[in-house]
Order: sequence, then structure tokens, then C-alpha cells
Amino acid sequence: MSTLMYLARRVLQAVLVILIVTVVVFCLLHALPGGPARGILGAQATAQQIAQFNHEQGLDKPLPAQYLYYLRTLASGDLGTSYTLNEPVSTLIVQRLPKTLVLTVLSAIVGLLLAIPLGMWQAVRRNKPFDYAITTLSFVAYATPVYFLGLLLVLLFSQVLPWFPAQAPQGDTLGQVLSDPAGLVLPVIAGAASMVAVFSRYMRAATLENLSEDYVRTARAGGTRRRAILWRHVFRNSLTPVTAMLGYYVPVLFGGALVVEQLFNYPGMGLLFWSAAQSSDYPVLLGCVLVISVATVVGTLLADILQRVIDPRVAGGRS
Amino acid sequence: MSAKGGPEVGAPILDVTDLGVTFGTDTGDVAAVRGVSLAVRPGETLALVGESGSGKSTVALAAMGLLPGNARASGSATIAGTEVVGASDGTLAGLRGRTVSMVFQEPATALDPLTRIGSQVAEVIRNHRRVSAADARREAVELLRRVGIPDPERRASAYPFQLSGGQRQRVVIAMAIANEPALLIADEPTTALDVTVQAEILDLLRRLAAESGTGVLLVTHNMGVVADFADRVAVMLRGEIVETGDVEKVLLRPGHEYTRRLLGAVPRLVVDEPDPAHPNGSAAVGTEPVVDLRGVSVVFGRGRRAVRALDDVSIAVHPGETVGLVGESGSGKSTAARVALGLVAPSAGTVSLFGTDLRRARSRARRALRAGIGVVLQDPVASLDARMSVAQCVAEPLLIHRRGLSARERRDRVADALERVRLPRALADRAPRELSGGQRQRVSLARALVLEPRLLVADEPTSALDVSVQKTVLDVITDLQGELGFACLFVSHDLAVVQQFAQRVVVLRNGRIEEQGSTGSTLRRPETDYTRRLLAAVPVPDPVLQRQRRADRLAASAGPSA
Repeated sequence: MSTLMYLARRVLQAVLVILIVTVVVFCLLHALPGGPARGILGAQATAQQIAQFNHEQGLDKPLPAQYLYYLRTLASGDLGTSYTLNEPVSTLIVQRLPKTLVLTVLSAIVGLLLAIPLGMWQAVRRNKPFDYAITTLSFVAYATPVYFLGLLLVLLFSQVLPWFPAQAPQGDTLGQVLSDPAGLVLPVIAGAASMVAVFSRYMRAATLENLSEDYVRTARAGGTRRRAILWRHVFRNSLTPVTAMLGYYVPVLFGGALVVEQLFNYPGMGLLFWSAAQSSDYPVLLGCVLVISVATVVGTLLADILQRVIDPRVAGGRS
Repeated sequence: MSAKGGPEVGAPILDVTDLGVTFGTDTGDVAAVRGVSLAVRPGETLALVGESGSGKSTVALAAMGLLPGNARASGSATIAGTEVVGASDGTLAGLRGRTVSMVFQEPATALDPLTRIGSQVAEVIRNHRRVSAADARREAVELLRRVGIPDPERRASAYPFQLSGGQRQRVVIAMAIANEPALLIADEPTTALDVTVQAEILDLLRRLAAESGTGVLLVTHNMGVVADFADRVAVMLRGEIVETGDVEKVLLRPGHEYTRRLLGAVPRLVVDEPDPAHPNGSAAVGTEPVVDLRGVSVVFGRGRRAVRALDDVSIAVHPGETVGLVGESGSGKSTAARVALGLVAPSAGTVSLFGTDLRRARSRARRALRAGIGVVLQDPVASLDARMSVAQCVAEPLLIHRRGLSARERRDRVADALERVRLPRALADRAPRELSGGQRQRVSLARALVLEPRLLVADEPTSALDVSVQKTVLDVITDLQGELGFACLFVSHDLAVVQQFAQRVVVLRNGRIEEQGSTGSTLRRPETDYTRRLLAAVPVPDPVLQRQRRADRLAASAGPSA
């Protein structure tokens, strides 16, 4: 199959998945008790006020019609207007998405740069003190809730040792956020910690599996030294399963950003989602979920393509 | 390409003295190899033979210093005067790939799947010689040409998965000879390959060894390969060498009782004139076939990637007879067996089971039909549920197809089935993993026969077993067939086994039937070139006869092309 065909098919699949996500989110939204009207107008609203609101928002029409209307406006880039912020949702998201992307991508890069060598090193030193120490640390990091870890970081590296600011850089534009890199350190660490924990485990398992493969024995029988085998052969082979996991990890990263942004008061999507959820600002919630699902689907797509680059068998079909 | 000369006199290139290997396991130390001494001289091939668990592969790995981490070696193994036992990583890396090389059993996994084959060969060159990357690459291409990879310039940039099993083994051999080693260790180098490919690889190894006077340590369980290749033989039993000698002496006049028993269990391909006494397979014709495939085609996949696994295949198996299904890997023999089982629906043609068209049968009726078939598959480890006891494994078909039975009746039927396959009653409550390979395969057989089927489908039932175990399993099937009268569809790549075991044989090639007939005539006086080539490629465990067969085969393959 040509790469172009493959891409076209995968993109089509991605679009379908996103459509299904919009249906699911739409249904969930309407299954809420009282519906959006109750949320916006408050508990004291009269039945007449609610009916009026529902009519204005088109909420009294049949669900399929509402859904189709929603899709149509979506296609024109209109995600609706926030109930509470009185701004188009698309504007809000365009403002904040790049900042969240910076945070999550930085966390992911830092996380992977630490996790991959750690996992490999653990595999090579399997069942030695180093392996046990890192395993313990990983489990602790994985079991620690992000908000707790964040608080701990603030306490240690902002209060006790005044190295970094406790508050993330503020500002409306990406440039303003990036102009204060010291402020990004703690949020990125908080976001990367669980990534290191999870991916060092994957990398350790994948490396161990590959170290016991026959091709390692063949390379040793040819006089290739251990270090060269590890980096020339085992490393690449171990990356394949890790890359596949990376795609599925995108929503987890966004979920983490939700907490991290709230904790460090970082003006990204997570904070937007958080406040929208508290005020039942459904257009914003729906917009955020949509963006996150698109990000997930794009993430898996990128992971699949990356896998094709690393592993010729994926492109070559059956072995 | 002349026959290799006799063993040269000289200092041995591999000298193993009183080698011992112990594996540390959870349940204590296991001595896998004890007091093994052997020597390989330049230009000589020593075959190390024995059944699984005899420690022959462990000796080979110990000589390379490639033992796994939980193994401890004692005694001495020197390669060209350098001690290997207890040597440092650096010393070993200096020896491996330069002075001593190894060819492994499983070409499918022996190569790094993500590295181009040319680079893998070049890596071995650059491990030991200071040559530029470009020169190493050029040399790798030459090596690939030398081992018979067609169009090596282009193929050098192929990935292993783009090559056939035989070609992959050629790449492994190219890596092994890259630095002209003085010693080549080959651990079951052809076991995973078809007979015709096996013959080619053996020819290649022989030629390379003869060209450069390399000593070869050949580890194998196949006595035919030994007869074809070795100058001397060492026979291993439970970690010790019980007999060593020239190949003709050991294979034709074995001294040790175990060697005699081992050779007695090897199925021998009969290659002379047809034997009139042999049953001719026509006995059952006239009765209605138990299973009848008519014009069956099977296509997997769609569009351009579609693979035609079977093409217009017609096979009938009559009550009481055994039909052997033979062919190389990919010939469609297992697919045909699956069609007979109703597990694969044919794309065209009809399948009748016990006189009923499978496609017309409703699902309930189809299930009843399936109760009349027993199945035994190749891998006795994977085909039994590890969490069931032996008795539960055997009872399961009764639970599904004979729901009316009381628990007591069921127990009796299970005990009966275990007795029939000659398994001690005491094993009934054990887990399958606690049993040996042969015992497990007999459990599969008991499970297949507990419903008293009219048809037994056996897909390579003895391929994973040692020859002596293979013999007992085949004997059990033959006896039970006489007693119960079921028909048997027997899939195997081993022509000697089929010749002994089946009355009729169907030869498949690329999904088509090449020829079929009684084993007595088809496997002795084949009508097609393909079957002739298949038969000629089977090495027989008689060095004198095999030398003649090899010469005939090479003359036949050289004749038409010259």
C-alpha cells in the first residue's frame, strides 16, 4: 500500500472517530439533569424563563436537529458562545490552546528524554539496586496525584528553596508566556513526572524483551560489543511499542494539564475547562472536549506514522 | 564442489575438555552438560547429535561463550588456543565473528528486523577489521553473492522480513563467514527449513567449509543431515557423550545401545522399487468417503493482496484409511486440513463431511458433525489449556457434545481414553505443563478420540517431538486406528513418516495438487518432477547411500541447466 493511500485512509478514519466523539459528547450533555438552562439561569429560574432560554438557544428542537445544527456551525468554525465569558468559544480556545500545547509538548519531551534512557538503563541493570530504586521511584511517582506532586514541588522549590516562582508565567500571548522560562519549570516537571514513571516502565519492558531476542545473540556471535548492540539494535526495536503507546497517552497528558494549569494558574485550555465545568458553561466544555479528542486522534495518527518510519514492516505489510 | 577430503591431521581448532555446564534454577542446580570432551580439526565436520534436553546446544553455546546468565561452565573449551570458559567479554568479542562463528536454528528471528541485511553483514566485518563503511558495504554485497542471494546489490538494502526463510539463513551464514573463521558452529541450521531448502543450505555450508578449510561443529537431531554432512559423530545422552566415531561407523555400526535405539526410531525413506506387499490404498474405495473436498479453492485477503491458498483441490478420505498431505511450507496443506475441519470456508467448491454438505448444514447440525472429528495439532504445549488438568482437557469435548452423560460416565470415558493412549491413570490430575512433550501429545490424542470420532485430523502431530517419542505416538495412533477404524487426514512435511504411516498421499504445491496416489507408488516412483525433487532432497541416515543420493541430486540439478 502506498504511503499516500495509507495516509488518506487513516485521516478518514480519524475524521469518523471525531464525529463519533461529537455525538457521544452531545448526548452526554443532554442527559444532564435540568439541561443547560438550569445551569445558566440558576436554581431560582421560573419555568417560563427556562422555556424562553431553551427556545432562544434552540434547545427545544428535536435532538437530531440540534445535533445537525451544531455540526453545521462547527463546520464554519463556530463553536458557539460562552454563556459566562460572553466570547466566542473559538476565540477562547485559539487564545489558550497554544499555551497548553507548549506545556504538554514540553512535558512530553522532558518526560521521554528522561524515561527512555532510564528504562533502558534499568533493563541492562535488571534486578540490581539501580533498577529497584528507579522502579520504586516510578511507582511512587505514578501513584502520586498530580495536584499533590505539584503542591510538593511548590513547597520545596518555591517556598523552602526559592528557586522557581510558584505561579506560571501569565499573559495573553505565547510570547509573554515563553519570556519567563523559570516559571515554566515547575509546571513542566509536574506534568512530566507521571510520563517518566509510565514510559520508563514501557521502555524497560520493551528493552528486556528485545535483549532476550535471537538477533541479539546473533549480533553477539558476530563479535558486536554489548554497548553497540544496545544502541544499534535493541534501542530502535524497543522504541516501536513505546511509540504506539505515545499516541494513546495524549489524552492523559491533556488530563494532567487540567490539574497542572489549575494548580499553577497557567492560562491554558485546562484552566478554561476547569472554570467552564464549575459554571456549567457547556459550549466551552463541548469545545474543549472536541479539541482534546482531535488532539488525541491526531496524536495517534502521528504515532502511527512515526511507527511506519521506525519499522519498515509496518509499511511492508505481512512478514 | 567436490566431496570433502578426510579429516586432516593437525592441532584442533576447537578443543573441549571435561566441559560441564550447570543451570541455576528456582528449584536448584541442574547439570545440563557433564564431562564432555571433543575436538574439531581444521577442515573437519563433527556432528553433535542427541535428543532434546541432551545438552548438545548447550555445548555449542558454551564453546561460543554465549551461555545464558544463569549458567555456569566448568572445565575447558579452547578455540585456536584461546580459553573460552571464564573469558572476559572483550576476549570473547574478539573471537566471535572472527575466529569462530555461529549459524542458528531459527532464521526467522536471528536477524535484527529493523536493520537492512547488508548493514548487518557489514557490522560483523567492521567489528574485526578496520575498513571504511563503504568498503564494508561492498564486501557485504560480495558475501551475499557468495551465499547465493540473487541480485545482492539490491537485496543488501532489504529488511529481513522481505526475505524467505532460506534466504534469511543464507544471510546468517554470510555474517558467519564474513571474516573467514577457522571454526563454524551450526546449531540445527536447517531444522526450520523445508527439505529442498535444507539441501541447498547444506550444500552451501559444505562448499564454504571446503573452500576455506573451516572446521565445523554441527549440532543436529536429524540423522539424515549427519549422514549428509559429517565426518565424525558424537552422540549425547543426558548431558554426556556416549559414543564418538567416524560417521560410517556410528550410523551403520553403532556401538552404544542408545545410539542403536535412536537410529532404530528414525523413520527411513524407502527409495527402492515399489513394494507389492505394501497396502495400496484401494481397500476402502467404494465406500462413501468420510470427508470429501471437491474443487475447493481458498482465497485469503482481497484485491491485489489476495493470496490463493488452495486452488481447485479435491481430496477424499475413506473410512479406516490414512491420507498423508505433504508439501513444502506455504503449499496449503494446513489450510486443506482446516477446510476439512470446517474452520476455513472455501471460496469455491464443496466440502462434505460424513456425507453432508457443510455449507448446507445448519449451525446445530454442523456442530453435531464436528463431534465426529478429532484434532491433534503440532504444538502440544500451546494446544492444551494450561489451567486445566489432564482429565479436564480430555473431558471438555464430552461436556460440549455429550451433555447427557453423568459425571461418573464422563469419568469412565476419560479414564478409558487415557488408557487407550497408554497414559498412566496417575497423570489425570496433573497439569499439562508437568508432562513431557510426548505425553502431552498423547493427551491431545486422548482428547481427540474421547468422542470416538470417525475422522482424525492430525496437523504435524509429531514435528515438535524427538524421534523416539514420535515413534511411540505414531504407534499409538496406528493401533487405535486398527481398533476404532477412524479415517485419518495426516498433514506432515516429513516424507519418511508419511511413507510409513499413510496408505495414500496427496502432494501439494503452491495450493494445487501436484499428484496423489498410494504411498507405495507415489513416494517411490513419483510421476512429477516436483515430487522427485522433494524426495531427492530428503537426506537418509546412511552415509554411503546419502553420498550417492547427493551426487545424483547435484547431477540432476546441474544437468538440465548446463
